[in-house]
Amino acid sequence: MSQFHITFKEPTPNRVLIADDDPVMTHLLTTILKQQQCESVVASDGREAYRILQADSRFRAAILDMSMPFLEGLDLIHYMRSEKRLMRIPIMMITAETDIKLMSDSFSAGATAFLPKPFTVEQLEGAIRMLIGNRKPVKRSN
Amino acid sequence: MGEDITSYMTELDIENNFFISDSIANIANEVLDVEVLKAFEKIKSDYDSDFVVELIDLYLQGTPQRIQAIRKAAGEKQWIALKHNAHTLKGSSSTLGVPTVAKACEELENVTSSTSNEVVQSLVQTLESQVLQAREALIAERNRRLQPRTAFHQSGLF
Repeated sequence: MSQFHITFKEPTPNRVLIADDDPVMTHLLTTILKQQQCESVVASDGREAYRILQADSRFRAAILDMSMPFLEGLDLIHYMRSEKRLMRIPIMMITAETDIKLMSDSFSAGATAFLPKPFTVEQLEGAIRMLIGNRKPVKRSN
Repeated sequence: MGEDITSYMTELDIENNFFISDSIANIANEVLDVEVLKAFEKIKSDYDSDFVVELIDLYLQGTPQRIQAIRKAAGEKQWIALKHNAHTLKGSSSTLGVPTVAKACEELENVTSSTSNEVVQSLVQTLESQVLQAREALIAERNRRLQPRTAFHQSGLF
């Protein structure tokens, strides 16, 4: 008699990691995310975000500020893209930097989206919609 | 000066609880892009309050500590801390439509170890002055947004 084992894949929760040391920006992001039925987990610097990611990978997306104390956004992207359990999480970088090179550096490191400040509410909402509807495919090595 | 912002209101303004005086409006026009703030009006607050006021309050609460950190970093020649704090304040200032503060922060971000102490201190003073003006404009905008609601409450209708 054969046995069938059915395993249900746990759905990706609508949780989004926000790493930014600017309370104005985190309040703006958490409120917009809530309107899109997403729960926010907020880290106020790069080190706190790193610690959260070490213990928890159940995120639908991550929104990272480029410039933060202790660990910068780019460092976090490199970490997330090197960890199997985190590598499929879409990442959006936000920054007040004007250097265009940061955008290419972010995409090279594995960012999914890049949003320079200041941005409009529509731009932010559109970017978030795109981000939470996007799950990066895992690269196959064959 | 910011706390005394209401003293600049004309009698008519206070009676109506609606309008701010021309002098305050002019200050606001120069340092605060109200259109940027208006764009946030469509966002619904979790606390059933004006979302723009929430953002203004967060900015006003956080900026004094940020300025203090910038002043300390400049005095101690801690360039990384100086740039970081200036950068963060630049971001929130541009988000809230305060370009004069954002510009002053950007100039501080460009400070290097070869910049003279006089120039650094002058840039910090410019930033402090811009922040004070922005604070007045933001408080005026905050009051303007809260007053119609207060008027309704006072009328006994709500």
